[in-house]
Amino acid sequence: MGKPETATGLSLTVSDVSGQKVFVVANAPEGGTVGELIEEMLGKMGLPPVDSGGRPLTYHARLEREGRHLHASERIGDALQTEDHLTLHPNIDAGRGA
Amino acid sequence: MPNVAHNFGLVLFNDEGERVGTAALNVDWEPAVECARFYSLRRGELPWADVGGAISILPLWDHSAGEPCCRGFRVAIARADQSPCVSDFRNEYFRRLAAQAAGRFVESGLLAKGEVFRYVVVALEVENDPAAAESSGLAVAERTPTLDLLESSLSAWQSQAKGVGFVDTDDMPLFCPQSVLDQVAEQTLAHRGKETGGVLIGRLHRDQSLPEIFAEVTAQIPAEHTRGDAVKLTFTAETWVAVNAAIKLRNRSEIYLGYWHSHPVFEWCKSRGCSLEKQSVCKLAKDFFSADDEALLRAVFPRGHSVALVANDTAFQGLSFSWFGWREGAVHPRGFYLKADNHAA
Repeated sequence: MGKPETATGLSLTVSDVSGQKVFVVANAPEGGTVGELIEEMLGKMGLPPVDSGGRPLTYHARLEREGRHLHASERIGDALQTEDHLTLHPNIDAGRGA
Repeated sequence: MPNVAHNFGLVLFNDEGERVGTAALNVDWEPAVECARFYSLRRGELPWADVGGAISILPLWDHSAGEPCCRGFRVAIARADQSPCVSDFRNEYFRRLAAQAAGRFVESGLLAKGEVFRYVVVALEVENDPAAAESSGLAVAERTPTLDLLESSLSAWQSQAKGVGFVDTDDMPLFCPQSVLDQVAEQTLAHRGKETGGVLIGRLHRDQSLPEIFAEVTAQIPAEHTRGDAVKLTFTAETWVAVNAAIKLRNRSEIYLGYWHSHPVFEWCKSRGCSLEKQSVCKLAKDFFSADDEALLRAVFPRGHSVALVANDTAFQGLSFSWFGWREGAVHPRGFYLKADNHAA
């Protein structure tokens, strides 16, 4: 039997690092990749896609159910189940800068 | 995402008042929205357990020049059966974008390097529905996060604490115990010459009689899995996993309040061969928050109650601390209340 899902995609919860921004996605497409989901959610969640120098920021999606960071290339339908919770974790710099 | 029915842009002028050119603005409205939302929460105008209604960005027309010239913009947060909560922002909000635009005009030779410029903000109504143009296939809704708010007396807390630095009454009151600063100092000195850091955690309190919300730093979690050198500290995805695990292990209903990191200023000065006299007036030595520092606060701690702490490690006066927080949609130095460690109001 396949994974439970809605008629149009998976229902997910996505939050930022602090858990103070929480968004519910009603229809994450099973055929899409985790990387595509992250990219789209950044805009929806008001998270910056670039650093102070305009370089792309890398965000990793942590699947709380499995306690691991997903690869950007993983297919949503393969890696996720409906009602899964993802947390977006950026790699980001502080400091004076070179 | 806020509803923005206008395209904002800049008209730049040189020191002579001659028009240099125009630039479209790709504005990050989030800091303004967060500040507006938190200001309304502090004043009790928005319920705590509610992310609020639809948010709109509205241009404020310049009184003398009129439309399309702006004197600023307004953030309006809709409320059920009440007028919206509004916060107004001045054109200083666009200052960094104006500097970036000026840089492009310098590159193209239309503005001399170092030349003084001024800018006028303009807003033009969008002909097409921006929401429709930007909409994707994802159906997304914001959910109110679970954040505990403790009922407390602000005056009781203030009576057992000491204001340090300029404590602006417009800023959310912030309390931090000496023990946290001691830990920050210890970690900074243990990694001397390299940047190090951690995450500040704590609790939010509300004094309904005022009304006001204030924050209490309860601990700092040393950031693990970071990559640090003399000028940079990288917080990685594994850093956040470790911090989350530490917060859960402590099990004290604490939340993320912000982050801290060290600035090994003496090392920066040494590499530049600066004299002690020069170091003592260097802008990097105190209350310096870099563009990277601000970008981290923006990306990870965008909420209006978020704060940052910098440990300045200098050669001329040892270690000092600088606090920063959100004000009017930008990051500013701020004061705080040093709390007695045994205080539990």
